[in-house]
Amino acid sequence: MGTLENSLEENVLTTKVDWLINWCRLMSIWPMTFGLACCAIEMMAVGAAHHDIDRFGAGAFRASPRQADLMIVAGTVNFKMAERIKRLYDQMPAPKYVIAMGACATGGGPYYKFGYTVVKGVDRVVPVDVYIAGCPPRPEALLEGLMKLQEKIKSSSVIRKPARTA
Amino acid sequence: MDFQGITDRLTAVGAPGFLGVDEPRGKDPEVKGDKGRAGDPFVLVDPQSIDRFLVVCRDDPKLRFEILADLTATDPAADDENLWVNYNLLSVSHRHRLAIKGILPKSEPTLPSAVAVYRAAQWHEREAAEMFGVTYRGHPDPRNILLPDDWVGHPLRKDYEFPKEYHGISCE
Repeated sequence: MGTLENSLEENVLTTKVDWLINWCRLMSIWPMTFGLACCAIEMMAVGAAHHDIDRFGAGAFRASPRQADLMIVAGTVNFKMAERIKRLYDQMPAPKYVIAMGACATGGGPYYKFGYTVVKGVDRVVPVDVYIAGCPPRPEALLEGLMKLQEKIKSSSVIRKPARTA
Repeated sequence: MDFQGITDRLTAVGAPGFLGVDEPRGKDPEVKGDKGRAGDPFVLVDPQSIDRFLVVCRDDPKLRFEILADLTATDPAADDENLWVNYNLLSVSHRHRLAIKGILPKSEPTLPSAVAVYRAAQWHEREAAEMFGVTYRGHPDPRNILLPDDWVGHPLRKDYEFPKEYHGISCE
């Protein structure tokens, strides 16, 4: 530690509040431990060492919806589960995000026509931010979806702009 | 024992409700009602005495079917007036299997429960009950096992109509 040491000691960083808060949010999207079907296996692969979702700060899978920011709906949603999903979503603190992972969560998937108990898209129950195609999606696709969500968070604004008077 | 030996033994001990042996397929493939005959050769049993028939299968020293491998029902066609109930037994000690079927009218689909004979029948009967609308008399816990409690209809019946919405979620 040579020249840099002590050189920043009494300095001030200036930035936008929006940028700072968004940066905090998008670098620590904690998902909920929540797998419904085979897509959850791919989600576990993303959590494991090879694909390592922790690179994006989203590796802390929380066991409680109250500590989670992101719900990855990984699998087939049936009507019996849909009410539980809604309740879990309601228990998450805002800001909260939902990723519909795979064909089933996006639109019913292979159960679209004859699945009498399958909800044809989890967006009929909770609002979805990012849809990921695939049956199941590759782990890279889930990471891509996570990056899309980060882009979305980056473009959001926390501070309410003052209303313009005409 | 092979299938012939098993049926001979069932006849010899006078198993209750034993109606005879049926062929896996009917003669005319166009007859939709013969769909229930698919699969292995099976014995045909009166469903109303299936529990006493299963007791014989389980306890007879020559048969000794210890395991109920499967229990389900079949709906051959929407315009068919009968359901089929299917039981598959496995004997580990004698290394043989037996397929049992019974014809049950859709107008009154009730039959005695097999739980008193094979406890493995509990969940299978609950599933067959909700999927086909079969009522098993004397079942100790006749709730739905897979579907929600307030589900309307029996999904594996051929004349089942899909729901339009469930608890405010559209099914279209």
